[in-house]
Amino acid sequence: MRRVLQSMRDGIGFDTMLVILTLSYLLVFAGLPLIYNVVISFQTVDVFSLGTLMHPSAGVENYVDIFEDRQAETVLRNTIIFTLGSVALQFTLGFALALFFHQNFTGATWIRGLFLAGWVMPGLVVGVLWNWLLSGDFGVVNYVLDGLGLIDEPVFWRSNPETSLYSVLIANVWYGTPFNMILLAVGLSQIPEDLYEAAELDGANAFQRFWTITLPMMRATIGAVIALGTIFTLQQFDLFAAITQGGPAGSSTVAQYWSWELSFREFDFGRGAVISVLMIIVVLIVSLIYVRSTKAETQL
Amino acid sequence: MTKQIELIGIQKHYGGFHALKDIDLTIPQGQFVALVGPSGCGKSTLLRSIAGLERITSGEMRIAGVDVRDLPPRKRDLAMVFQSYALYPHMSVRDNLTYALRLKGVSKAERAKAADKVAGIIGLENLLDRKPRELSGGQRQRVAMGRAIIREPKAFLFDEPLSNLDAALRVRMRKEVRGLHERIGATSVYVTHDQIEAMTMADHVVVLQAGRIEQQGPPMELYDKPANRFVAGFIGSPAMNFVDGVVGEDGRSVTLSMPGTPVVRVATQTAPGRAVTVGLRPEHLIVGPPDADGAIQARIGAVEPTGSTTYLFTEGAPELLITTEGTARHRAGDAIGLTIAPQRVHLFDPQRGSALAP
Ligand SMILES: Nc1ncnc2c1ncn2[C@@H]1O[C@H](COP(=O)(O)OP(=O)(O)OP(=O)(O)O)[C@@H](O)[C@H]1O
Ligand SMILES: [Mg+2]
Repeated sequence: MRRVLQSMRDGIGFDTMLVILTLSYLLVFAGLPLIYNVVISFQTVDVFSLGTLMHPSAGVENYVDIFEDRQAETVLRNTIIFTLGSVALQFTLGFALALFFHQNFTGATWIRGLFLAGWVMPGLVVGVLWNWLLSGDFGVVNYVLDGLGLIDEPVFWRSNPETSLYSVLIANVWYGTPFNMILLAVGLSQIPEDLYEAAELDGANAFQRFWTITLPMMRATIGAVIALGTIFTLQQFDLFAAITQGGPAGSSTVAQYWSWELSFREFDFGRGAVISVLMIIVVLIVSLIYVRSTKAETQL
Repeated sequence: MTKQIELIGIQKHYGGFHALKDIDLTIPQGQFVALVGPSGCGKSTLLRSIAGLERITSGEMRIAGVDVRDLPPRKRDLAMVFQSYALYPHMSVRDNLTYALRLKGVSKAERAKAADKVAGIIGLENLLDRKPRELSGGQRQRVAMGRAIIREPKAFLFDEPLSNLDAALRVRMRKEVRGLHERIGATSVYVTHDQIEAMTMADHVVVLQAGRIEQQGPPMELYDKPANRFVAGFIGSPAMNFVDGVVGEDGRSVTLSMPGTPVVRVATQTAPGRAVTVGLRPEHLIVGPPDADGAIQARIGAVEPTGSTTYLFTEGAPELLITTEGTARHRAGDAIGLTIAPQRVHLFDPQRGSALAP
């Protein structure tokens, strides 16, 4: 017993224990549900059989059903538009803001801090906020667009099938931009100032310095920000729930929302799980890219 | 000779802090100038002002005859070697060397040729494909040098480029940098806090203190005729001994305020009875027998042999440092007599510190 305690204290025993703890945590709370989710996607699960651990096998029927569903095409297109659009805009805006605040004018840190306020708000609150902003008759967005002469009559953002997806997209961009900005700002601040000075003496103008110093030095950060942004956007649920509920007529339904609808509205857990499995595959691919990009060495 | 860099009445303020005070400096084409001074005296600030990385508050600045006050660094056509080297970590050595050429739109083939040539000069032929992190400190230093010389700029600016190297390599690089300068014949401004580096490398040494030029001139002129007590103490190693004294009746000798009130003869004619600060270089004091005529009587307090030179410290206040060639025959406690040639005695005004002209 004493030997065990001693090895706990100063041997590899303690390290091993920490590793085992972490691994078992991951296994129980992340690994098992993940595996169970995959298992369910090959089974027929309804409200009545939900309570039991194992269910009748469905083979690949759930998968076939999903791909043959007439909603599938819309959902796929929506998901792609929503994810790519959100990530691209969040990243661009976040980078622009990070560069802007990197100029270190008076109050830069302060104002940058304020941006984080938006990010710490719960998604549902942000959703409600944008409901007001986007509302057709008294929304601020319409008011501004009208004032600028860009629209003649109010746009009913949320109830128009043409714009419903974009109303959530706009809210999501607003929601995710501060996060992008902060990570990119950290990346920017890690580039030594003397590199820019050396480049300037070598004859590089501002654009060339950005292109040949900033961007390549930021590779790892950019990879991380885009990967995390993609994953967070694929997880975005609250905004859909608060703003459009996937409607009207499914026009703003994305994969994650559809999965929830199938599982908890139609109580077809098998098909709900199929979408989760497909999304896990996408996230895995993105994560791989992320891991590879963090390996990119830019340290001296 | 044409004036390559011309600074007239340069002032630089950082907010309320006056960093450069009235700097006048003219550097002819092809000259190697060292800016030397203690830490925080404004050497880097002056160099960076020339480079355009800092904006001067007022004054005139011309490079190759062109007023550059409002030119950004990239239009001044100067090359700088940073103390940190500032190599681009994401580029290979070859790309680091040719970065400036790439910006100028030089073709890839020509860039490769230029890189090979420069690599030959600085001895980096085998390292062209490495990244900076795969190089030793000395090799990085060479890349930084190579990056500067590949461009044939109007002038080279060095900010303590050797201070991160070990002592032996520093001595070797000193010669190499100077050799490169001679080979290329370009104008160089070299910042260092090491006066030996300044003395051995430069044609012209500028001593700065607290943002002001204390004295400038050829190295030996600064050594032989320091304009003031600061320069006298800063140039020369080990530093000059300073002793208070009073000029004698004849105006050609000084009574030192130290035990025994010794009298030394001086070459400078000054007002009798005047208080002065006497400067005696350690290498100019000659150790003799204690009873020698007109010698400063002293007793050795400590002996520090270094092999080639031996440092002797006298007992009592003020302590005098003497350097002697070779290994010493002296021991602590020995009584000695010190003599010095009259023309080697420096006199300074005790208040203002300025040298009293010989
Ligand atoms: N950006 C700045 N803002 C305010 N003061 C500054 C700034 N840069 C330098 N200084 C001040 O100007 C003075 C000169 O600085 P500088 O860097 O030129 O010194 P230096 O002679 O190069 O010293 P060192 O040998 O330590 O490098 C210092 O007192 C420093 O505190
Ligand atoms: Mg400095």
